[in-house]
Amino acid sequence: MTKEGVQGATEEEEQQQAQSKKGLKKQQKEAEKAAKKAEKQAKLAAEQQSTEEDDFAKDRYGVAAMVQSQQKLGKQCFLVLRQQQFNVQALVAVGDRASKQMVKFAANITKESIVDVEAMVRKVEQKIESCSQQDVELHIERIFVISQSEARLPLQLEDAVRPDGEGEEEGRATVNQDTKLDNRVIDLRTTTSQAIFRLQSGVCQLFRDTLTNKGFVEIQTPKIISAASEGGANVFTVSYFKTSAYLAQSPQLYKQMCICADFDKVFCVGPVFRAEDSNTHRHLTEFVGLDIEMAFNYHYHEVIDSITDTMVQIFKGLRDNFQTEIQTVNKQFPSEPFKFLEPTLRLEYTEALAMLHEAGVEMGDEDDLSTPNEKLLGRLVKEKYDTDFYVLDKYPLAVRPFYTMPDPNNPKYSNSYDMFMRGEEILSGAQRVHDAQLLTERAIHHQIDLEKIKAYIDSFRYGAPPHGGGGIGLERVCMLYLGLHNVRQTSMFPRDPKRLTP
Amino acid sequence: MPMYQVKPICGAHAETDLPTCMYKLPNIHAQKGNSCTPEHALQNGEVDPAVKALEARQDEIMRKLHELKAAVEGLAKTVTTPDADLDLTVSSSLSESASSTTFKGVTDLDTVLGKDLGALRDIVINANPAQPPLSLLVLHSLLCQRYRVLSTVHVHSSVNGVPPQLLSCLGPRHADSYARHMFQLGFTLIWKDVPKLQMKFSVQNMCPIEGEANVARFLFKLLAPYPSDPALTTMVDSWVDTAFFQLAEGSTKERSTVLRALNSALGRNPWLAGQEFSLADIACYCCVLQSGSASAAPANVQRWIKSCENLGHFSPAKQLLQ
Repeated sequence: MTKEGVQGATEEEEQQQAQSKKGLKKQQKEAEKAAKKAEKQAKLAAEQQSTEEDDFAKDRYGVAAMVQSQQKLGKQCFLVLRQQQFNVQALVAVGDRASKQMVKFAANITKESIVDVEAMVRKVEQKIESCSQQDVELHIERIFVISQSEARLPLQLEDAVRPDGEGEEEGRATVNQDTKLDNRVIDLRTTTSQAIFRLQSGVCQLFRDTLTNKGFVEIQTPKIISAASEGGANVFTVSYFKTSAYLAQSPQLYKQMCICADFDKVFCVGPVFRAEDSNTHRHLTEFVGLDIEMAFNYHYHEVIDSITDTMVQIFKGLRDNFQTEIQTVNKQFPSEPFKFLEPTLRLEYTEALAMLHEAGVEMGDEDDLSTPNEKLLGRLVKEKYDTDFYVLDKYPLAVRPFYTMPDPNNPKYSNSYDMFMRGEEILSGAQRVHDAQLLTERAIHHQIDLEKIKAYIDSFRYGAPPHGGGGIGLERVCMLYLGLHNVRQTSMFPRDPKRLTP
Repeated sequence: MPMYQVKPICGAHAETDLPTCMYKLPNIHAQKGNSCTPEHALQNGEVDPAVKALEARQDEIMRKLHELKAAVEGLAKTVTTPDADLDLTVSSSLSESASSTTFKGVTDLDTVLGKDLGALRDIVINANPAQPPLSLLVLHSLLCQRYRVLSTVHVHSSVNGVPPQLLSCLGPRHADSYARHMFQLGFTLIWKDVPKLQMKFSVQNMCPIEGEANVARFLFKLLAPYPSDPALTTMVDSWVDTAFFQLAEGSTKERSTVLRALNSALGRNPWLAGQEFSLADIACYCCVLQSGSASAAPANVQRWIKSCENLGHFSPAKQLLQ
């Protein structure tokens, strides 16, 4: 079924040999119908232009849809047929096309079965509020079940799509998140989930396209690595033949090696594994990381400009091409549309401290921003500049990892930056130290065992350009763009400290 | 010109017992019949040569200023109208000194904007690209002459795109723009789909300011305080309001009434608020230009328009309208 719902596509004449008596009867009727249909076709072809007509242009209609629900009212049976994000009302009525047995059969089809339907598309006088296609309905002439679903479903899709507030008000059920995640295959069928993951696919696509247009090369980095790059506490260990190895916490090390290998600008899309025992609304143990690294010519702001421009292109692409999906998600999870500025707003850490200070938060010069402070800062920036996306530049050196390049003009600060969406951090990036000597000094200062990072330091010994970059989490970006509240809604089969299946 | 006199802390004629083993220097400040010794006496009775030199320099500068003032007054007398018939290149050299004395009085940023918290003080202006605020662009260029201003232009996501001249209306990007903390003031212009022009500065302490007239008043206060005479202040304010309400948004009849009023006011004085260029002139000029009635204006108004343009501050506004 197409979105427009009118111009039927190819005829899908899947002639399944029906086992029941009804099937035989229907075959008898076929001959009659075929004759009548031929007449009708001729008439319709002549009357296509007229908009007063009840019948639409095409009369044949081949669909492979799922039965969402049905309701039998005496001589009629209403079904809701669904395909991905859209659903349409269908009607089986006793008449010259359908017999009483056919109506009974339609009423007994279990929900979520896959059916093949031939029907006439008709305009309706009253809008059908409960479906996405509100101005037409299908008058079924033939219906076949292709794959039958079990009668008892672990969760009802109408409940899964119902907004939380509405559920409480009317006393109807909503499905809680754990049930949804346990029966992910059914939950993903909801119109909301379909919309979310189509949007996520769009984000990935726009990311790739924008960067490729800017001259970036896509790389794939290994995920089984020999040594934990940043603090050793947060990596998963895997047994590797006679020894053990780790799952990569981030592709950072290999991105930088690619820059030293003269690839100039690279990006990679791949899984990231973090063994953090954080049970929050925004942490997963496995997520998709979109990482960027590039060498620059004069100033590390070139890197910031590149990254923010990519983000802005992604936002614009979503705003212009995925409005349907955004509206679908908003029906179940209402939220404010996402606002941004072009070029992206860049504030300095000192300005952020001043804004927080004005709002009554006391913070030291070299303190890191706590999560509540980040959220407050997000609200203050939204008040003043009306943007949900901004960059905070020049973080204090003391709170950044050892490979961050210090600010040449002020040793207290560093050439590092964070990016925020709706007050939550989505990217942590910096200019990297590209000098092996300086890197060793910084590592010693942070009391890191030099033996463990020997390979890393060695990669800078044979000529390395100044470079910087950052990485974002696909799920978190989608969650924040749509204004959702839990990252598990944007991860197809989420992994967290308590969930390993499906 | 006597400098601020401080009474000597110790007696001016104190007898000091100079040690004989030191190298004796003759007294540099040998009195040549000058009676200002007591003022420059230091603690040990000797006079600081630097002070004397400073005084001499100051005298020199004051003398030059007096000469300049005399020259300007002379020119003003020969030319009955303010710079109207002078060529821009000639008057620009005069306008340098004219603009520096245009806005008398100094404003302290801290008193107007609040305590300096050690970070860039950013003024955010949300404007609709359909109605670019010309007077604010003029005030922006005046601010740039006075302070170190970091100017940025953004396009909000509520607007699909703006013509390129709106993106470059604040001038080229400053070379130091990567270091925001090096600037005294930030001027951030956001092209957004807003019904009315809006300015935000300090979210906690100030409510947003709406309307081009009010924002212009705010920005002007950063340049110079309003004249202390309340009658003059009221007149300036009334001209600003006339400009934005009747000239810019009024019907043709209202506009011609305003032009007539301008004509009669300008017949009496070179500028709208008397002898000095003020916010009233900026506001009225921009609105006259935007309403397109510049060419059809009466004689005094035309002359005044020429004088405004000769001052050189209005070039960004003119460029935007082209």
